[in-house]
Amino acid sequence: MHELSIASGLVEKLLEFSAHNPERTILEVRLEIGELSHIDSEQLRFCYESIAKETPLEGSILTIARVPAIVSCPHCTYRGRPDYWDEALAIAPVMTMRCPHCGKAVEAEQGHECAIKSVRLLDTHTAPSV
Amino acid sequence: MIKLEAQPDEIYDIELEHSLLEANEKLARQNRALLDEHGTTAIDFMGAIGSGKTTLITKLVEKLKNQCGVAVFNGDATTSEDADQIEKLGVPVVQIATINGCHLDANLVGKGLRKIDISKAKFIFIENIGNLICPAEFPLGSKARVVVVSVTEGPWMVRKHPHMFLGAQIVVINKIDLADAMGVSVEALINDVHTLKPDITVIPTSCKNGTGVDAVAQTLLAI
Ligand SMILES: Nc1nc2c(ncn2[C@@H]2O[C@H](COP(=O)(O)OP(=O)(O)O)[C@@H](O)[C@H]2O)c(=O)[nH]1
Ligand SMILES: [Mg+2]
Ligand SMILES: [Zn+2]
Repeated sequence: MHELSIASGLVEKLLEFSAHNPERTILEVRLEIGELSHIDSEQLRFCYESIAKETPLEGSILTIARVPAIVSCPHCTYRGRPDYWDEALAIAPVMTMRCPHCGKAVEAEQGHECAIKSVRLLDTHTAPSV
Repeated sequence: MIKLEAQPDEIYDIELEHSLLEANEKLARQNRALLDEHGTTAIDFMGAIGSGKTTLITKLVEKLKNQCGVAVFNGDATTSEDADQIEKLGVPVVQIATINGCHLDANLVGKGLRKIDISKAKFIFIENIGNLICPAEFPLGSKARVVVVSVTEGPWMVRKHPHMFLGAQIVVINKIDLADAMGVSVEALINDVHTLKPDITVIPTSCKNGTGVDAVAQTLLAI
């Protein structure tokens, strides 16, 4: 359900952009969402489409790129992909905060992001064809 | 009807770097600064409904209120019974109603902070609400997050819901008085938690007979 709050923030930001750029139509919005953030892409898309209805954003495409997690270990020199827990009973792979080299606790360097990266626009003030 | 036919050069991309979590994170940092200014430590408790968050907070308040100031924020606003129970102990209680019943956010907690005399509270215990995943994306300004799980959630609870542990510093495994009856190994649960996050503090408790509550209080005092 936190997807709803995130989608609201997203729509708010994009509508603000639209209001300042009335001659530009937003065709596509590209997000980056980290592996470590607990955001469900499908739910986010559903929330976005619901809120975008009957606004200038209706019909725009939401493209979500996943940012892989990168961890680093303060105990040894490991830096890279995290260790995954094969015994976990979740549908998606479950990453751990355990160092794949020494087994101690790692710190996340990348993977928490949830951000708009770019938007694709259509300039509508150029001559329309009838 | 006017039809728009885009020429390729009329379609273009622009960078629009904007974090969707930043607004909340900024408010969380403001909360934290305000708390630090008063030497107050906020602790965020999360976990499934019925795991024992309110009971644990009540026990902690009973233990700590004579040695330091304590206040409680209750975000689990389905009933006011929880808040009433804690208010009977004579400490400030702020009941926070969330808009979508999903999670507390830094804005709501910030409003709560303005309702109490922070300087009198060494601790603010925040009972978060909601499913186990939502609150992780929304820091509140607390210094530590405690996840409360109970053995009645079964032997595979950590493996089934691993995500909520990754952002926590302390895990309380509650209702260990029921472990034998439930056929659940507390040891195995602790191992599971440490597999996910080796440096997390795990404290088994029974809020029914008081086991482990002291250890939780000591851990919080040491933060
Ligand atoms: N047997 C047992 N019951 C407990 C324990 N801790 C809490 N409970 C009971 O579990 C129920 C739910 O507890 P509550 O604190 O309201 O859970 P919350 O929804 O997480 O706030 C209540 O009936 C408590 O009395 C415990 O350690 N052992
Ligand atoms: Mg409760
Ligand atoms: Zn290491």
